[in-house]
Amino acid sequence: MDKLLRNKKVITIFLMPALLLFTVVLFIPICQSVYYSFCDYKGLTAPEFIGLANYKNLLKDKSMIYALKNSLFFLIFSCVTQLILGLFLAALLTNIKKGRNLFKNIIYLPCVLSSTALGLLWMFIFSPKLGINQALEKFGIEGPLWLMDTSGFIILPMWVIAFVALWQYVGQSMMLYMAQISGISTSLYEASYIDGCNKAQSFIHITLPLIRPMVATAMSFNAIGSLKFFDLIFNMTEGGPNHRTEVLATHLYTQGFKYNKYGYASAVGVVLIILCLLVTGLINKFVKTENYEM
Amino acid sequence: MKKRLLAVVLSVAMTAALLAGCGAGGGTSDGNESASAEGGVQEITWMFWDDLNATEDLISKGYADVIDRFNADYEGQYHVTAVTTNLEEYYPKLNALVASNETPDVFIVSPGPNLEVYVEPGVAAPLDEYLADGWKDSFTSDAVFSQMTYDGKIYAVPLNIAAACAFYNTEMFEAAGVKVPETWDEMLDACKKLEAAGYTPITISAGTAWCLSMVAGYLCEMEGVDLAALADGSASWEDGQLESAAAKLVELSQYFQKTAAGDTNDVATANFYNEEAAILIQGSWAIAQINGSNPDFESKCGVFQFPGVERVIAKSDSIAMSSTTKYPEACIAFMKYFTDDTAQKYTAEIGGKIPVTNVEYDASKAPAQLAYVMEVFGAANGTFGFYNESMPSTEAGAYFDDLMVSVFLGDMTPAEAAADMEDFYAGNCR
Amino acid sequence: MNGKTKSKIITTMIYVFLIVVAVVYIAPLLWVFMVSFKTNAEIFSDPFALPESLYLDNYTFAWTAGKLGIATLNSFIVCGVTLILSMLIGSMAAFAIGRMRFKLAKPCMIFFLIGMMIPVHCVMIPLFTRFARLGLSNSLVGIIIPYLTFSLPTTIFIMTGFFQSMPNELMESACIDGASIFEIFFKIALPLSRTGLFVTGLMTFVANWNELLLAMVFISDDAKKTLPVSLSKFVGPYNTNYSQMFAAIIIAVIPTIIVYCIFSNQIVDGLTAGAVKG
Repeated sequence: MDKLLRNKKVITIFLMPALLLFTVVLFIPICQSVYYSFCDYKGLTAPEFIGLANYKNLLKDKSMIYALKNSLFFLIFSCVTQLILGLFLAALLTNIKKGRNLFKNIIYLPCVLSSTALGLLWMFIFSPKLGINQALEKFGIEGPLWLMDTSGFIILPMWVIAFVALWQYVGQSMMLYMAQISGISTSLYEASYIDGCNKAQSFIHITLPLIRPMVATAMSFNAIGSLKFFDLIFNMTEGGPNHRTEVLATHLYTQGFKYNKYGYASAVGVVLIILCLLVTGLINKFVKTENYEM
Repeated sequence: MKKRLLAVVLSVAMTAALLAGCGAGGGTSDGNESASAEGGVQEITWMFWDDLNATEDLISKGYADVIDRFNADYEGQYHVTAVTTNLEEYYPKLNALVASNETPDVFIVSPGPNLEVYVEPGVAAPLDEYLADGWKDSFTSDAVFSQMTYDGKIYAVPLNIAAACAFYNTEMFEAAGVKVPETWDEMLDACKKLEAAGYTPITISAGTAWCLSMVAGYLCEMEGVDLAALADGSASWEDGQLESAAAKLVELSQYFQKTAAGDTNDVATANFYNEEAAILIQGSWAIAQINGSNPDFESKCGVFQFPGVERVIAKSDSIAMSSTTKYPEACIAFMKYFTDDTAQKYTAEIGGKIPVTNVEYDASKAPAQLAYVMEVFGAANGTFGFYNESMPSTEAGAYFDDLMVSVFLGDMTPAEAAADMEDFYAGNCR
Repeated sequence: MNGKTKSKIITTMIYVFLIVVAVVYIAPLLWVFMVSFKTNAEIFSDPFALPESLYLDNYTFAWTAGKLGIATLNSFIVCGVTLILSMLIGSMAAFAIGRMRFKLAKPCMIFFLIGMMIPVHCVMIPLFTRFARLGLSNSLVGIIIPYLTFSLPTTIFIMTGFFQSMPNELMESACIDGASIFEIFFKIALPLSRTGLFVTGLMTFVANWNELLLAMVFISDDAKKTLPVSLSKFVGPYNTNYSQMFAAIIIAVIPTIIVYCIFSNQIVDGLTAGAVKG
């Protein structure tokens, strides 16, 4: 048996396809991306090394500043709201008997639907003359321009899009927390009730500490997901008005594939990678703890 | 067992192919061209930014006719195939083909900096030797080539001209007691009266930045901005013209529809033909869209020159030839079909655009608005290009567009915008 | 007694809240479904009433002009092929890492795990230029390869867990019976980890079915576009025929909703199990 499992040739055959794909489609392109980010590269002529010029331009680029600000806003907003709302819903659902599956499945539904379709759907609901504004009109209220207003530090469209993202993905966080909560042994709760705890207290003292590892997992999902965020923005505002709802991914797309500035867009991509690695690292360092025995 | 082998073979093959591509760089060969040489038919490709089978655009439909006529007339000798994309992804797709050494033999391109992208690395071929045989004389004037000429050589041939004009709803003007404005003050006055009569005076799109920028271009012209002097550094954006043009834009913007900030080009145009607003400032290509979407509107639609300026903004579509094409004769023969009398007559009578050649067409068949546009065009004291296509790079054009939107949204004062534009020019364009 | 009424009130409040939440989830979908049967004029005159008659032209138009039929087919091909390949290649690698004995198992795993953190956006430009040169930029194969690669990390991670938790005895007895390592893998290990395959397959399929950015960049030929790309091109703010666009949205989501309604418990639990492990 041991000999079979140490067969080098077999190991190579088993690993080779995955390793090759990874190297060629992921690893080499990342290196190339980093190289391009130091180049003036427009796709038509060969890349030309220009040092840090792309990165210097990033700092001067207003859309990039918006994109960075919006991406960070999404990151914080989704981590916080998904944690609170996800946990809250999970706590509610584990405490009801009838209809748990129904509610769970309804809330989870948008997670499996295409965010392109949902983005377009919400775009119409929040458009100036349709959906919500038509409903408000019935009450004689003139609705705001949900996706076009540009006043304030975080502009209204960003809140709207953040809400839609929360709506779409909170089901996932909720399910993760539910999975973890249902794994907690009921004897722990029973013991706490005997000690005179009420439900809220046992939630704080038992549930919360025990789901902490899951908070880290769910948060990493949310964080990476919100940094990668593209579909909803692209379909709801395309980064407009005037680049005010641009995020890193849409900025990369516009610069790279609309204006063909491959070198510059690669620099945006490098910033994105660094942010992804940084955020995952931070979450793992500060939120994650070793699994408790349950 | 077989499955596993297949997977291994497949993935190794895929990877090998990828690695080969990586090593070989640009030196891949074009496998698809050799096949056609045998049959004696010279196969060429033409790349275009609209789906010729599904399009509703009348101009695009005209191009489909051109292809059919060409393929029928030269059957057995030449054959052209259209490669189509939609407008948004046209340039990326074209660039991808250029990068993979599969440049389409003939391709459509906007003149100005867009064309220059292909002229500089030698992708587009100079056309002077082919134009010299009398082809050039069929055009209305040599001026139509001005945006396609680099270092004295012509790199593309125009197909049609569109002029940016103010379209207006004659019924609303009458009801509000407004006559066609000729000066800037009259324009503001007209808007005020329209508003008082309960109409939205102007519909415009700031969601599609170039639409707003077109108006800004007219206002810059009004203030005497000199793009050439700005490009070579003998003038500064901060000299005051841009500032006052931007101030005028802000002044005019109080008469825009409420949703201008987010409305796209098509929505803004729809506001006009659905009679929700009185004035639309747009290129004459919108005629086909307006009449196509609301045929009843043709009789109510008037056209006037943007007030306070003497020249009009004109834009042409043009086609260029690849410098690496195997069959230049076929390409030229094909390109000539776009500018022959049949095609140009179609351009005017059905497409509603201004022809580039001296063709005679039946004005009564053409859309009513074309006659008005021709009138404006004829009365104008010359033309100038779209601002975003007349700057040193496409990027500078896009920057200008965005800046004007910022001013409109109130994110920037006109003075800040002028300083910002000057900064950008100093850093990128001179 | 007091405590009982209190808990009753609390339960009622919980249900009221959950019903409100459920309405927030269902109402938008329902509204779009409803207006997709109206004419454009009806949408503006009476947006919230039931449609007077079922106006199906919207659907026929969206189906043909939006080219949603061919797009759905393309999505199926792309997701199906990716699904099969990623399960095969992924579980092979997972088996090697989880079961076979060699020194580089851990570094290999870390190498794959890095892939989970890299968004596809960051490698899109080099991939696009490379694939364009190879003639892959406008073909389904060209998106299957990156989809496959980006599906592998989760597959490998989850499947490694499954293989590691598998009891030794079965394999050892097979080994004694003279089975080769490949037979052990295909006949024992894979069938025993069906749950894992289901979970990873589901995750791969859902993620790739909905992917927009990469497909949008790589594919420009209408006949090769996937569902999200065709939908995004057809709908989008460039159009003012709202009712037709609503119909297109419904066409795009209805297959997923139907499948979800039938298998919702398995899907939700499967995807959650995958995420918990990932």
